[in-house]
Amino acid sequence: MKNRIKIKALVGALDLQADVTFSDEMIIISGENGAGKTTLLRCLAGLETARGHMLVKQQLWLDSAADFVLPTQIRHIGCVWPDAALLPWLTAEKNITLGIDQVDDSWLNLLAERLEITALMQRKPHMLSTGEAQRVALVRAIYRKPSALLLDEPFSAQAPAIRQRLRAVLKAVQVELNIPVIMVSHDREDAEMLADQHWRMREGRLLTQAFETSVNRKLQA
Amino acid sequence: MMESLWISLQLALVTTIILLLVALPLAYILAFKTFKGRTALEVVVALPLVLPPTVLGYFVLLMIAPNTGLGHLWQSAFDHSLAFSFSGMVIASVLYSLPFAVQPMQQSLRAIPDSWLEMARTQGLSLNQTLIQVMLPAAKGGVLVAAALSFAHTMGEFGAVLMVGGSIPGETKVASIALFEFVEMQQQSEAWMLALILLGVSFVMLSVVYTLNRQGSNPGIFK
Repeated sequence: MKNRIKIKALVGALDLQADVTFSDEMIIISGENGAGKTTLLRCLAGLETARGHMLVKQQLWLDSAADFVLPTQIRHIGCVWPDAALLPWLTAEKNITLGIDQVDDSWLNLLAERLEITALMQRKPHMLSTGEAQRVALVRAIYRKPSALLLDEPFSAQAPAIRQRLRAVLKAVQVELNIPVIMVSHDREDAEMLADQHWRMREGRLLTQAFETSVNRKLQA
Repeated sequence: MMESLWISLQLALVTTIILLLVALPLAYILAFKTFKGRTALEVVVALPLVLPPTVLGYFVLLMIAPNTGLGHLWQSAFDHSLAFSFSGMVIASVLYSLPFAVQPMQQSLRAIPDSWLEMARTQGLSLNQTLIQVMLPAAKGGVLVAAALSFAHTMGEFGAVLMVGGSIPGETKVASIALFEFVEMQQQSEAWMLALILLGVSFVMLSVVYTLNRQGSNPGIFK
């Protein structure tokens, strides 16, 4: 359990608290609307102000005791948000490689093929469906070989058949890159088929599977 | 007549180029930063909208007079007076058209979706990369509108340039001042011609602005 997150954050009306450890594995977060799933991801990405401690892939992201915050730009993360946020004047390919000087074509082509966007690479975003744009955003997040993937319902716009294939791809990517993947999902199948850890959120609190198991045991006793 | 038009065109061109360089950082600061004195800065930038141009011209003239620091420095460096010179008029024009350059850029920067800027951060783009590869292309419409408005506004300037430039034929007599003098001397045909040309320039520049504005509010500009 080398990754550790222990944070508190006040964002709008939400009082978020999370205290978890995890290894480089697949983590699914579920919970009601407004429970704080997206806010938790945004705190991890450094897009919201949180206090506490975050250590991911042996890199310190946050240490409020020492007044340290690693800026989002150098956390080296890959993110997919509900808004694909593709720049409309760039092709899918240029969106993926935005800000990258030396493009690794074989890695790019491999990812494009696995996420089924090879034929879309030269299209601009207005020529992409929502689902296609979402897959381009996924490739953009993965391409840079991040030290963590933060995904907010990354399959929400995908048809069931392709969703199944994408799960397998995502799992393979997680293993290959050997990184934690933290993914918000309302789809029970995502949790059942992917989750090494399953976090549930309620009213800003994070309940890990382990926590729930111990509660269940107490209830049974 | 052609001489004065030529001076107006040069003045408008130089002013527009300088304004784009000066107004972009100002627009960026006003669009994204909160700091003490922000309101004061906004007011100063907007002042030329309501200030009588002669008042602005008068203050610029005081500022660049040979007995001031700036005027003296200029005189010793270039061996001519900043007051009643083309360069002096450029200073006045830049100040006079500042809000016309800053405000469209500020608005178009402000209109960039947060999700694009957050994407730039999570993808690890540096501030420079974000500026050049995300913000500028996204705010392209506003920058072009700012350029067109600055140019047109400078072409139509009268009070401020008269105050600072002094209407020296061949040097600081711009088209709008030449028109005034033609009318004063009852040279009707020249006055007509010049007025028509200035009207045409304004019409064309505003057409450009409205075309850009319509495209700017429509994602079609990127297609």
